[in-house]
Amino acid sequence: MLMQTNRHTENSRDGLSGPVWFSLILLVSWLVLPLIPLAIWSVSRSWYFPDIIPSAFSLRAWNYVFSNTSDVLPALGVTTLIALCATLLSVIIGLPAGRALGLYQFRGKALVELLILAPTIVPGIAVALGLHVVFLSLGLAGSYLGVLIVHLIPTLPYMVLVMAGVFANYNPDTEAQARSLGASAIQTFFYVTLPAILPGLLIGSLFTFLVSWSQYILTLLIGGGRVVTLPLLLFNFASAGRNDITGAISMIYILPGVVLLLLGARHLTGRSRAVESLRQI
Amino acid sequence: MYLISKICSELTSIWRTRHELLTRITPKVRCFKIKEPENMSRYPSFKNSIWRRLSFLVVIFTLVYFPLSAQATEKVGYENWDEVVATAKGGTVNWFMWGGADNINQYVTDYIGKELQKRHDISLNRIGINDTAEAVNIVLGEKQAGIDDNGSVDLIWINGGNFRTMKQGNLLFCGYHGLLPNNQFVNWQDPSIANDFGLSVDECEVPWNRAQFAFAYDSARTQSPPKSIPQLIGWVKENPGAFTYPAATDFNGSVFIRHVFYHAAGGPEALLGDFDQDKFDAVAPKAWAILNEMKPYLWREGTTYPNAIASLAQLFANREVALYFDYDPAIFGINVENGIFPETTRSYGLDDGTIGNTNYVAIPYNSPNKAAAMVAANFILSAAAQYEKAKPDVWGAAPAIDVGRLTKEEKSRFTELPRHPAVIDPAALSQKSLPELHPDWISAIEKGWQENVAK
Repeated sequence: MLMQTNRHTENSRDGLSGPVWFSLILLVSWLVLPLIPLAIWSVSRSWYFPDIIPSAFSLRAWNYVFSNTSDVLPALGVTTLIALCATLLSVIIGLPAGRALGLYQFRGKALVELLILAPTIVPGIAVALGLHVVFLSLGLAGSYLGVLIVHLIPTLPYMVLVMAGVFANYNPDTEAQARSLGASAIQTFFYVTLPAILPGLLIGSLFTFLVSWSQYILTLLIGGGRVVTLPLLLFNFASAGRNDITGAISMIYILPGVVLLLLGARHLTGRSRAVESLRQI
Repeated sequence: MYLISKICSELTSIWRTRHELLTRITPKVRCFKIKEPENMSRYPSFKNSIWRRLSFLVVIFTLVYFPLSAQATEKVGYENWDEVVATAKGGTVNWFMWGGADNINQYVTDYIGKELQKRHDISLNRIGINDTAEAVNIVLGEKQAGIDDNGSVDLIWINGGNFRTMKQGNLLFCGYHGLLPNNQFVNWQDPSIANDFGLSVDECEVPWNRAQFAFAYDSARTQSPPKSIPQLIGWVKENPGAFTYPAATDFNGSVFIRHVFYHAAGGPEALLGDFDQDKFDAVAPKAWAILNEMKPYLWREGTTYPNAIASLAQLFANREVALYFDYDPAIFGINVENGIFPETTRSYGLDDGTIGNTNYVAIPYNSPNKAAAMVAANFILSAAAQYEKAKPDVWGAAPAIDVGRLTKEEKSRFTELPRHPAVIDPAALSQKSLPELHPDWISAIEKGWQENVAK
């Protein structure tokens, strides 16, 4: 079965048609083109409107970004750590929740789904101030833990909904088969469940990471300025019209997203075994 | 760097923060009010209902008024400066300030931070924010959560509407000027220092910089820029598309509109003091008429206005418009140094004068490091710190202290400072300085502009 799956993916890879190539190029340029001016800005000293390239270049922005004053490198570490932890927590919470929503029917399911969706519908700023008061009374404001927990509010909906979608197409009978063949619960999870849901799990994790990565107002309010992440530094300069420093910080800011996308891309296109086996039935 | 525009971006934020104050208090009141008719039907007796109403009032009174009055009478708690310095040793100051200018960030972190560490063993933690209202909101939230002695903000760069919000909400630590040794350099007799946008400072904040509105132009492109509002009106008509101003929601756009307002009123004198609807109604139509007269000759025929001063800077840099203006003339030199503006940029004030303000640092009432914050506030007032800040390659900001009160040596250091060619001499500019208006006036003008000019 494994060999069949591989052959299947290879076939589809060879068979990329003209329109697919076209849309692929369009997508890549749509993603990459906006980044080019940012990269040029980061090394330019003066760049006026009609000019195609800057009239003067300088490394001033990069010097500032890598200086101790700017806090960019510590902020990069803090942002990465918080986003990774938020992703991990989202997986721990979102996976069982998504499974329950995707596989089972129960009373009040629609309400639960709505409540999970709520943070993506309600604007963040509206809840941020109320949350701030709650976190203050819990003693979590101004701490890394507080920021990590508050990031779960916007990130969890993505994880839960993606996982609910994955489990809706998932056949739990494969788990029963594995168990009847003598696999333990843990073995079943790692050899049967996880491979089947891995592409979805990676997509959910990618979303979660990027949503946490880009939080501004929640980090600012709950962190109380003591937790400095990259968006905080970036917005300072973006709103001040400092295109050179904004460009330089942006280059650093997009790094993890690009790295994750490249790492994840291979897995995202893979077909899951459980879904495949369903198709063969 | 738009520092002044940002630090006091109250013009957009004042309503936000105030609105918050209101919405945070009203729900409590509302739930009492909703209950009331129910209570009345249950206790139909007239006496009872009066008592109910009274007790309701008393509850509201104690809920809202008592904590406020308790804060207002708070004592400073230090006998003398030595005691403050001793307490401050080893402390940390979390200073929230607009963080959009690398040179200011560097001055604060590298100079003030290092000096405080060296001289007083205080670590300065500069926290860059986008809008001063964000720091005000943090303190507001902490007050609501009952965190009265362990807040996260120790110092805020502030003025105008944000100061007003904090002072009126009793969110500030006040009454410590007598302790600060460097307070002697501040001329508190000057009304433009003793009042922050028309609101008395009352020892609730310490001046840091002074700023005064000025225009900039590219001397290589524009030979004779307009030097007064009437000249500007004529100039705009002769040079269609070469001028625009940011919308009133922007701090600098708003201050430009106030200059037109002053012109329409025949000077600022009539508009000073508390807001007066009759005076406003008499002047406003004239001001809107002037702005609407200019509108078809503005950039893009006035169909749109830049939403922020940064956009106007970009338009000026791209040579789309010929004039730029800013509340802080130091920005002209900094933008030239950063390569944003051409080397041939020059600046000037208006013949009738331009509006000036002072910006300050304030300590929130719930700061856990008040002593360290006071030492920091005292240090930024020192001749050394103000001199460093006045250097054109550091920041070029005008000193908030009265240079005349310094020793001869220190004074000559200030007078001998080189000035960036793009920046007008602050002394010449300040000879024709106009006062800033009360925040209520400013809000009324901004609202009026939206309704009568923008649409």
